[in-house]
This record gives sequence, C-alpha cells and structure tokens, in this order.
Amino acid sequence: MAKLKLLVNGESHAVEAPETALLLDALREGLGMTGTKRGCETSHCGACTVLIDGMAVHSCVVLAARCEGKEIATVEELAQDGELNDLQRLFLKHGALQCGYCTPGMLMAATALLRRNPKPTLEDIKVGLDGNLCRCTGYTGIFEAIQSCALGTK
Amino acid sequence: MEIKLFRPHSLEEALSQRAQYGRDALPIAGGQSLLVMLRNKLIDPQVLLDLEPLGELRGLQAHDNGLSIGAMTTFFDLLSSSGVQNAAPILAQAGAKVGSTAIRNLGTIGGNLCHNEPGADLPPALLALNASVELRSSKGIRNVPLTEFFRGYFETALAADEILSRVEIPALPEGACGAYIKHSISPEDLAIAGVAVVVVLDGNNPVSARELRIGLGGVAPVPLRAFKAETALSGRALTDEAIRAAAEIAASEAEPMSDPHASADYRRKMVKVLVRRALAAAMDQGERNGHGKA
Repeated sequence: MAKLKLLVNGESHAVEAPETALLLDALREGLGMTGTKRGCETSHCGACTVLIDGMAVHSCVVLAARCEGKEIATVEELAQDGELNDLQRLFLKHGALQCGYCTPGMLMAATALLRRNPKPTLEDIKVGLDGNLCRCTGYTGIFEAIQSCALGTK
Repeated sequence: MEIKLFRPHSLEEALSQRAQYGRDALPIAGGQSLLVMLRNKLIDPQVLLDLEPLGELRGLQAHDNGLSIGAMTTFFDLLSSSGVQNAAPILAQAGAKVGSTAIRNLGTIGGNLCHNEPGADLPPALLALNASVELRSSKGIRNVPLTEFFRGYFETALAADEILSRVEIPALPEGACGAYIKHSISPEDLAIAGVAVVVVLDGNNPVSARELRIGLGGVAPVPLRAFKAETALSGRALTDEAIRAAAEIAASEAEPMSDPHASADYRRKMVKVLVRRALAAAMDQGERNGHGKA
C-alpha cells in the first residue's frame, strides 16, 4: 500500500491505496467522491472523466500515484454553495441528460474544452467530447448546452 | 500479490531496474493501453516501471536532419508542435486520429509503438516517414529502423532489458507531400485499415513519382511497408491505370486478419481503395503548393 497526497478540487487529501491504484478508485473508494462514475473501465466511455492540471483524462487509465503534485478537478467542483454553475444549469435547460450517468464526464470534458477554447465551433465541441459516450439521450442537447454556455447564456 | 510501482529518478535508474527485473517489470508510458490490459488480466507484471518522472524522455527537437521525438511525448504535445506540422504533417494527421481527446492528452508516441496493436494510427505514418527508434539498455544504445521493430502481433524488437527512448524521423526530401487516411467504424476506433503515403513528385506531365513510400496499418499482424507496390510505381507516370495496378499489389502485400470489426477480405479491399485515395490526396497537395511536405 502507498500513502498518497492528492489535491482534489483545491483541497489536499491523504489517501491510502495500492501502489498501482487507479485515480478512479482513489477518488471513489479512497475519498468517497462518487460523482466521478465507473463506466467501461477501458477508456472508451468517458463516464470517469476528470481534469488533471486542466486537461480532460479518463481516470480509469491514470495511476493515482502520478497525480501527486497535480491539480485534480472532479464534477464536485462545479457547483458552489449548492448552486449549479452555468454549464450545469444549461445542461438542465437543454435536456442534455436522461439517465445522467454520463453527465459528470460530459461536464468535465466540456469544462476542459471551454477553458482552453472559450468560443468553440460545433466541430470543436464534437472533438472535445469524442471520448464521452451517451447511450440514452443522444448528443444534440449536450452540444446545444455547451454552445449556449460559450455564448455567455446564464 | 500486489503489483509494485517504481518511479525512477533518472533513465539510468530505470534501465538498471529493467535489467534487474527483465520482463517482470513493464515500463508504463501514458498507460492508456497498458492499464486496460492490466485491468483485463492480459498481463501479469510484478512491477510497473513508471517512465513519467523521466523528463528527458519528453519533448521534441527539430533539426536540419529531421525530428527527434522523446518516447514520452504525448499526442497532445505532437499536435501542439509547429515542428511536427512543418517537418512531418502526416504524423500530425495520424496523431489527430488516435483514440479520443482524453487518450491523446496522456497517450505517448513511445507507448503507441511498443504496444504495437494492429490498427494503431502512428505506425503506418512513421513507416512512410522512414522513422527509426532508439532503444536503450544499461549496456548501450541501438538504433532500429521501424521496419525491423515490429515483429509480430503485439510483439516488437524491444529486448527485456531495454526501454524505447526516442523516435527519429529523417528530414523529408525537398518537395515531398503525403497523406494518412484511416478507415474505421467510429473515428475513435482503431483503424480497420490505415494507409500513409509519402511521395516526391517531379514536374513532368503526366506527373511521376521520383520517390514513393507506402505504410499500411491494421491489415496484417504488424504494420508494414508495401515495398512491392512502391517499386512498381516509383519512377513511373502516376496515371490512373498505374496507380490502380500498384494499389492491387499493395493489397496483395497485406496479410489481414478477420475480427468483429471487419473480415480479412474486406480489409484487403480497403487497402486498394485507401492507397488510391491517399495517393490522390498527396498529389492534390503537391499540385496545390508545388513544394508540399508529407
């Protein structure tokens, strides 16, 4: 077992985990932060997407030990004081979810995209979310929510 | 037994650990394939040897003789580099087609080559670029042309005590142009077939190929160069008829396998189609800018 210090959503956490623990397991099992979803566990579906130093990654294929000294951001970071952020509100407004299982990953992939590219084209959005699958509602509402967030809609 | 994780502080330390443990210590680069194989119990190492702390393996240098790319350079780094766009645009084309954004953020050029999964996008492009790899062990360094690196299905020439440290791409001939074309069901999938061409056109009418290289991926247990097709077309006028004939030869050089994505027969037919399309794309580019580069 290894003792890791992880900086998650601006707070430092101590986690005890196997040496080759995955970031997904360290977050969910180690820290009880279950917003990040366990999906395919093979880097296809994107339900486990988090940000490391602002870059979207699939936490099911990241060693937790590699994340020491880096900034990890999960979906729990988005809402502040119980208030959804603009992107989350726009997901609701555009019906960008049905079962909701892919939503944390979609939100984090979109967050990474909008930080790097605040005015993405539809094509940019499709590429930015190419690692995230939705198996129920489809993608139109998701793309619309992100486009409308980029336009500054609240 | 719990797998150990070694995080070496230098390449020297990593090589000595590799020498000590051999095949029981698997080097982990971006981890985008290896951690999936581990999860699926396809590999059973005692130790993961983490190459991430080795900053000397990351980054690329453009020089007069070409490009030198550290094994831990990510697809994101490759795609952000003006050096790659200028010196080897088909590498950027192929890199942009690897997996998804999240995979490109962490996946590396060295990991992609050592994994040697059929249908990977970089190998056909790097083969067409005449790339070679630098393999290091505690005993020394050897430089292996990529044509000799891929040995079999998921197998490479990397010895049990070696680490792939760099990828070297020689400068392209003046006026070279090229293209990489991938065929897959969904863009983030592995290629059912992927074809890269580099061609140096002369100024004649009809135009002919002074030099031609064709890399094939996804259509054999290993990525390969279609040497017979290259020979058949080099120095010849690039008429539709000659290109069709060469594409047939390239298809005959493939040794495709069937899997749930595509049958062997379909893959072979796609080689024919994609060789023609890749050549057409490269020739278009040559016509547009006269001195286009691959």
